[in-house]
Amino acid sequence: MVKLPFVDVLADKKNYMRKDDLASFEYTYQAEITNVYSLTKTEKLYQLQIIDPVERARFTFKPGQFVMLELPGIGEAPFSISSSPIRHGDIELCIRAVGNLTNFLTRSPRGTRVGISGPFGTDFPVEEMQGHDIMLIAGGLGLVPLRAPIFAVLENRSRYGNIDIIYGARNPAELLFTYQYDMWRQFDIDLNIIVDQGDASWNGPVGRITSILEDRIQAAENIGKNTYAIVCGPPVMFKFVCDMLIKAHLPTQKIFVSLERRMHCGRGKCCRCNIGSTYTCLKGPVFDYWSVMNMKEAI
Amino acid sequence: MLFRVFSKNELKNLYDILAVNHIVGPVSKGCNKNSTALYDFDFVYDFEELQLEYSATIHSLKRFILPAKETLCSFTLQKNNWQKHVELNAYKPIVYFGLHACDINALNKLDKVLAGKIYPDPYYAAKRNNMFIIGVGCTPQPFCFCHSMGADSVLHGFDMFLTDLGDSYFAEILSARAFECLSGITCREPGKSEHQRFLEVAQEKMKRFTCHVDTTDLTKILDLEFQADVWREWGEKCLSCGTCANVCPTCYCYGVEENVDLDMRHAAKTRHLYSCNLIDFAEVAGGHNFRPHSHDRLKYRYYHKHRGFVEAFEESLCVGCGRCGNACLANITVPEVIASVRGKEGYHG
Amino acid sequence: MTASEKTYLGVPVRKPRAAFFSLTSCEGCQLQLLNNEATLLDFLSLLTIVNFREAVSERSENYEIAFVEGSISRADEIPRLKSIRAQAQTLVAMGSCACFGGVNQLKNRFSDLDWVKKQVYGDHPIETQDVLPLSAIVKVDLNIYGCPIKKEEVEKVITNLVLGKSIDYPQYPVCMECKANQNVCLFDLGEPCLGPITRAGCDSWCPSNRLGCWGCRGPAETANVRQLKQIMREHGFSDEQMLDRLECFGGFSKFINELKNQ
Repeated sequence: MVKLPFVDVLADKKNYMRKDDLASFEYTYQAEITNVYSLTKTEKLYQLQIIDPVERARFTFKPGQFVMLELPGIGEAPFSISSSPIRHGDIELCIRAVGNLTNFLTRSPRGTRVGISGPFGTDFPVEEMQGHDIMLIAGGLGLVPLRAPIFAVLENRSRYGNIDIIYGARNPAELLFTYQYDMWRQFDIDLNIIVDQGDASWNGPVGRITSILEDRIQAAENIGKNTYAIVCGPPVMFKFVCDMLIKAHLPTQKIFVSLERRMHCGRGKCCRCNIGSTYTCLKGPVFDYWSVMNMKEAI
Repeated sequence: MLFRVFSKNELKNLYDILAVNHIVGPVSKGCNKNSTALYDFDFVYDFEELQLEYSATIHSLKRFILPAKETLCSFTLQKNNWQKHVELNAYKPIVYFGLHACDINALNKLDKVLAGKIYPDPYYAAKRNNMFIIGVGCTPQPFCFCHSMGADSVLHGFDMFLTDLGDSYFAEILSARAFECLSGITCREPGKSEHQRFLEVAQEKMKRFTCHVDTTDLTKILDLEFQADVWREWGEKCLSCGTCANVCPTCYCYGVEENVDLDMRHAAKTRHLYSCNLIDFAEVAGGHNFRPHSHDRLKYRYYHKHRGFVEAFEESLCVGCGRCGNACLANITVPEVIASVRGKEGYHG
Repeated sequence: MTASEKTYLGVPVRKPRAAFFSLTSCEGCQLQLLNNEATLLDFLSLLTIVNFREAVSERSENYEIAFVEGSISRADEIPRLKSIRAQAQTLVAMGSCACFGGVNQLKNRFSDLDWVKKQVYGDHPIETQDVLPLSAIVKVDLNIYGCPIKKEEVEKVITNLVLGKSIDYPQYPVCMECKANQNVCLFDLGEPCLGPITRAGCDSWCPSNRLGCWGCRGPAETANVRQLKQIMREHGFSDEQMLDRLECFGGFSKFINELKNQ
């Protein structure tokens, strides 16, 4: 008789060398909601602090990466990290209430414990962008993933050339992070905001984001050589904006976008986030536009 | 690789040596309405139940290594605090007695995604590392196109592989434990005539393949024909029922769901194997669906298996077992879909 | 801990006042709710039940959620349903009769109602009319499908309801669950089945017991009825056989005319 031994993959080093990888697959950091700020009617900024001090110190991320946020029994979903990747503080997530998890979160009081895993995914290569001009173009919620690279660039402002933020929203009430605009401008950032529909309080431009972009492209010098672009927004916006940038001779590999898909694992398994056959969670969410052009059904 | 030969009478002894473990193998599941015998993988409790001459099983092995529904973790909640408990749901080694080459190849393919370098999946790894696999040679069925997919023979991923030489079995041995098992039965090293016979059997098998898929330049063709009308034609037939993915030995897509217990003090996270053919597969929060039509989803399935996986791992995520085509009530089969996308006449779509 | 203090992750959990009502039906769905003794107490503790003929003797007309089983087959049921609707913040149609008319609506297949009455009740006629689902008379907030409803699913629905989570049903058909249960396809065994077009959630209750699906939960989001008709024919089943099944519970009513005209 040959009685086979039971292999415990998490314990038996001999049979499975990568037990640490296996054990961390479903591991979540416990974090506490330390603060909640209402940004608009539907978006809130959540500040989270990892409870264990060792884990907190170890948690680092790059601008553009995301975490999986979990509320036990309620759900788990990916969220782009909006806080500074350089200054270690609370992790900030800007979340719109649209589904089970996010709606429950709006009712969660301060002090609620949530689960966090990650960071996952690719990032905006802000170091590669040093010495260049950067155009950050965001539509609506698209400003959320751009906040981390903005923070990163501001930390080393002198290493970058002109920085333009071109941001469009449907109306002034939907503008995100309004309290930071003055600070951004102090850092010599050219902030251009446009809304589809103004209201009584609004005295800025009204119209499409592409009209501002057109002006900026006209004004910029040698855009094809000196400029990187970071684009995020609703799917329709990507196509128009990126086409304009390509027309202005920006190389496709200097245009970066952050794409959004449903994810159930964040770890290149479940296939829910696949674009064509590319995992958004592994090869994205930040892609250069050359990759996007090579993916089916991307935008 | 070591080789041994043993008389067919010895097979029961081999079974008995391993019978102290749980054994899964092909067993009879009665007949269909045309009196064709049906088989499926199931636990085997008696040697007589084991049907090593089976044509093909209805379902793949996934039930044992990638169950349709699996609890990933549970939570215990106190007032403001909670704990997470992870259970890998593997408790015992299992002997898989009588797998065809395609199904072993399917496991090898799954390993690339689920037990590879990037985020290896412990639930899968726990079950996969507790498999003892005895492969067995097969007779190509009219729906088998494993030869086209390069999955008709298998080089690794098993402990022992048996080929029927008529009155004896030719055993390929890949593990020390398999060697140990054979030491308990009467067997010997194969002679020249048995080498000869082994190669002949392989050749005879090759001649019996009637179903083929032309995979030449398939990755490029799938890119080129992304907008082709044939996808819509297949989409009109597709029931979007997920049957193909369920019977497929390599489909691993899933969805995760969290539920709170009735007592409000416990919760659990469950994964359900899903199918990219189901309508809400690519729906995002807020309701936008990236693949709203059945033809979008059907096309995506082919695109993932025959292009995306090739791009990532230089091989297709299809072993040519033909289960999906057999199980599809709308008669959507891989050979016909691919032939139609290639623009070949003769598919009856 | 008292009921009002119950929280989940710091969020207060509601304990709504619930009432259960029965229109034309077998009351089998109400009975289903009392099944599964192992979890019954936890289940009942989620709600304050003020009206439940099968379970409690007290009555109150002060409720937030009304669970209504059964269909409308008599004129007097219409004002009754309307008054339930007026009281309830949430009206739940429970079971195939309430959602689609259920088995009761089979009589709508006959054009002559008097003839039907005569066949069924002989010389003892009763008052009856064409059978309607609840949604034909009032706004329905939530459907719980099935004939009968599945207790495990109801437990999930109520849990999610009190937590404020959305109630999501499978959008895919029964085949998905049937295959997961390792069943041999009933078409292969010579049995017709509506599994490929019927909404899942029953865990393939009937097919797992070797009975073809009759579509009690109504159509899946992508019910390819035309293709199933083709499949039925290929397997030797007549269009009438398929219609018999499709019309059994009323969930497929929107497909019937299209099929008849094909």
